[in-house]
Amino acid sequence: MKVLKSWLKDFIDWDLTDDELVSKLTLTGTEVAGVALTVDRDVVVVEIKKIKKHPNADKLQIAKVFDGKEVLEIVCGAPNIAVGQKVSLAKIGATVGGKEIKEVEIRGINSFGMLCSEFELGLGDDHSGIKILDQNAPLGIALADYLKADSVFNLEITPNRGDCLSHIGIARELAAILGKSLRRPPLDLKMSLKRIAESLAVEIENTNDCPRYYARMLANVKIAPSPKWLQDRLLACGATPINNIVDVTNYIMLDLGQPLHAFDADKIAGKRIVVRRAKNREKITTLDGEKRQLSSENLVIADEKHPLAIAGIMGGFDSQITPETKNIIIEAAEFNPRVIRRASKLLNLTTEASYRFERGIDSGGIQYAIDKAGKLMKETAGGELYSGIVKAGEVALHLYDDEIEYKKINNLIGLNLKDQEIDHILKSLGFLIEDGHFIVPSWRHDIECWQDIAEEIGRIYGYEKIKQIPLPKSKEPNKSFYYFKEYLKDILVDLGFTEVYNYSFLSASDLSILADKEKDLLEVKNPIQPENKYLRNSLVPGILKSIAKNSSFDDILIFEIGNVFTRSREKTNLAIAVSGKRVSSLSGVTGQFCARIGMAPAVSALPTGQAGDRQAKIKIQRFESADLKTIKIRKPFVEIAEIDLEHLAKDSKYLSALPVRQAGARHGKTSDLGLKISKKEITYRPISKFPSVTRDLAFIVGQNISVDKVAVEIYKISDLVNRVEVFDEFASDKFGKGKKNIAFHIFLQAQDRTLKDSEVNGIIKEIISAIEKKYKAKLRK
Amino acid sequence: MKPRGSLHPISQFLRETIRVFESLGFEVYESPEVDTEWNNFDALNVAADHPARDEQDTFWLTDGRVLRTHTSNGQVRAAKERKPAIKIVIPGRCFRNEATDAKHETTFYQLEGLYIDRDVKVGHLFWTLSNFLQKMYGSETEVKFAPGFFPFVEPGFEVSAKYHGKWLELLGAGMVHPKVIKNMGIDSEKYSGFAFGMGIDRLVMLKYGILDIRQFYSSDLRFLKQF
Repeated sequence: MKVLKSWLKDFIDWDLTDDELVSKLTLTGTEVAGVALTVDRDVVVVEIKKIKKHPNADKLQIAKVFDGKEVLEIVCGAPNIAVGQKVSLAKIGATVGGKEIKEVEIRGINSFGMLCSEFELGLGDDHSGIKILDQNAPLGIALADYLKADSVFNLEITPNRGDCLSHIGIARELAAILGKSLRRPPLDLKMSLKRIAESLAVEIENTNDCPRYYARMLANVKIAPSPKWLQDRLLACGATPINNIVDVTNYIMLDLGQPLHAFDADKIAGKRIVVRRAKNREKITTLDGEKRQLSSENLVIADEKHPLAIAGIMGGFDSQITPETKNIIIEAAEFNPRVIRRASKLLNLTTEASYRFERGIDSGGIQYAIDKAGKLMKETAGGELYSGIVKAGEVALHLYDDEIEYKKINNLIGLNLKDQEIDHILKSLGFLIEDGHFIVPSWRHDIECWQDIAEEIGRIYGYEKIKQIPLPKSKEPNKSFYYFKEYLKDILVDLGFTEVYNYSFLSASDLSILADKEKDLLEVKNPIQPENKYLRNSLVPGILKSIAKNSSFDDILIFEIGNVFTRSREKTNLAIAVSGKRVSSLSGVTGQFCARIGMAPAVSALPTGQAGDRQAKIKIQRFESADLKTIKIRKPFVEIAEIDLEHLAKDSKYLSALPVRQAGARHGKTSDLGLKISKKEITYRPISKFPSVTRDLAFIVGQNISVDKVAVEIYKISDLVNRVEVFDEFASDKFGKGKKNIAFHIFLQAQDRTLKDSEVNGIIKEIISAIEKKYKAKLRK
Repeated sequence: MKPRGSLHPISQFLRETIRVFESLGFEVYESPEVDTEWNNFDALNVAADHPARDEQDTFWLTDGRVLRTHTSNGQVRAAKERKPAIKIVIPGRCFRNEATDAKHETTFYQLEGLYIDRDVKVGHLFWTLSNFLQKMYGSETEVKFAPGFFPFVEPGFEVSAKYHGKWLELLGAGMVHPKVIKNMGIDSEKYSGFAFGMGIDRLVMLKYGILDIRQFYSSDLRFLKQF
């Protein structure tokens, strides 16, 4: 929600900078997403030093202006400029009237900015010429500072604080924060002798749906555009001006948080308004021109015959204010937030009004709002304000009240405030306090228990003053299934596998690659994207996709631990996969893996385990190249083993052996299930959108040289080296005594462009000479 | 020749966070990814007819359950299986029903913390989170607590730390709402507690300067093998 500084100042004064104000608001719970000035800071005060005629255009002049530092040439069409004047210059890059100023050529002459009129700056109506500033205006200073331009605060209001969705709401917060009082001047209404009660009756069918409904009547208005000040305020807050009546309803909503509606009084049949539930299949065309079908979940404002508006959400087309409207009814009401929310959901229609009603309006502020609207409409549209308000519904406000739990509040927050200090904070927030008893203000619907009061005390007193308290010592926590999973991950990483995370979803087309089609898949009711239609019942489809995506890798060794789902069960599986030219069969890996967790794998291809070992039942699925082509994997084979980890945890010795291991850990030994934290320094290289170039290099080096170290050296040569993959390491005396052959795929890639051949060749040359020199290596050609 | 394996950056970061909480006595608790509307919302004081529900775009299943929108779904489950003092962290995968781009994902990870005991105060929460952030980001790290709104806590906080010279909101936290304590089957007059939660993906992105959140779920080995 946007609030305007000058508008807040209708209610309260302060002398803080915008930054200080933002910090105060943030620290008390009103998040500020941004502050903007109504005048761009790149509009500065300059002096006109020289004016000459434009050589190619009669109506244009070239002004040489000085900002205190440099002289700039500006092409200008306004007739009112003269040497010596102080004017405002929008520099290149400034945004004025919604447009960015750029260096432009105007009829052969370059212009380095724009001199601005009052209108262009959004400061007034005058666009007849350049705005001439006072002679004392200091050169170079931002016009925003010189004119003390207005600021727009963009606030993020949390769903519990509907009372902050207005200028008065934010002013109330400021009053409490700054310890000041709010201005809310009495309204001096000029009313006629005619009484509204003689022209209109209001009836509420159920006060649970609509606790209060107030109406005022303004006759003989003249519909026209609103005055500029009103339009400017609406525009600054993001609302679109329409006409003087509608603008006032929007203005009062932004001002006081009370949504209003104005009806054309002559379109109300029978001079009677009824607030009732809609009949099933009752229809209304709303202001936006949509024809909508209603149900008994909708609350409507109706006359004798038809609905006039969908209560609290949107007005009807037929009773709207038109240029011909003469007499109007102003509605100010309170609706049940739950009823509005339900109806808004069903209609899929959220408006500024419904947003506020859902969050709760000021139940005690309705009369002030309708009076202020009446006064403002009369001022802007003329006419005759009938005396009196037609009121229907409840008179009494139901406001939460209770004893103040001074002790509990102090204890929870960790404060030692005196009763009077707590009373004082609550009073500053508008609570009524008497003898340790409080009544919440009529605009606060979020206060329901003493903890809510504690929050008010804490945030206004200031959380930065609260002392931190260390937690009491507790015993070493039990190690759960999580540690078992992480332990398995470490084993697999150690065996050379990379952990992948795939989505938990399957699309309809993914089902076709599911070897194990199940009928009891869990289905998503409301997926926005078709990929999210089902929940996976196996990790295999995701793993196959992972392999397909990484076609540039010769060999792929990956695993995933994740949850899989059927209608009756959610369980955690592990999938291990190998694919490629030189990888060996998965059975070898599963053998090593099982040995590490003290189990013998019951894989048919393997010799049976040692006597006494428990067996892990591991099924390996093998996909041959013919199957793989259909899913775009060009690899000789893929093998995947999928293992139910809860079974594995139970079957293996691990979870049962845990207490023993923990006891060991307490005596200073490291537990096997301790979390290993990598100490590796990582410099992340983003994946580029531009194509990569691959070159293969093979070197003969001494057998003691580590390939990993050589790879690191290659990375160091250039930032364009994106990936270095070892694809061969082979020791043989045929390369010379004690020598081996090492070979790399080297991928070169830039973040911002496609690499040129010459660039690539240069880097490859550098790599060769660096590796040859550092490792006494010899390039194999 | 043995290929080099690698652990997913989110797994790595979760370990680092969990190790810090482990040293403070927090146990790891895991809750299911598919859960009831009650555990994910209502029990946590997020009623269907309250606008706070709109803060979450939820995947609903045809059987009426939901894909959890936060690991807070474990709060009430864990509390029912234990007696106070309860001191747990809940890591795991969460879901948001939205269109994806570089900044938005349907899938993300969260670490939630819960501590329920006699006489737990705001000061305990502040100490725990300051301690955590200073262990993660260095003992000099400045930490700031501002009011925040989450329906399952009262009072609630937005917790920020100064990270490379910039204030960043890193966690949401608060004192467990008395209604939630009641839903756990615990006497809210005798016990109080705090809860906190953080989005892991964003923290990992900050750590390495990763710009596209979808990388985590891309299974792109060019990405994963860097960690």
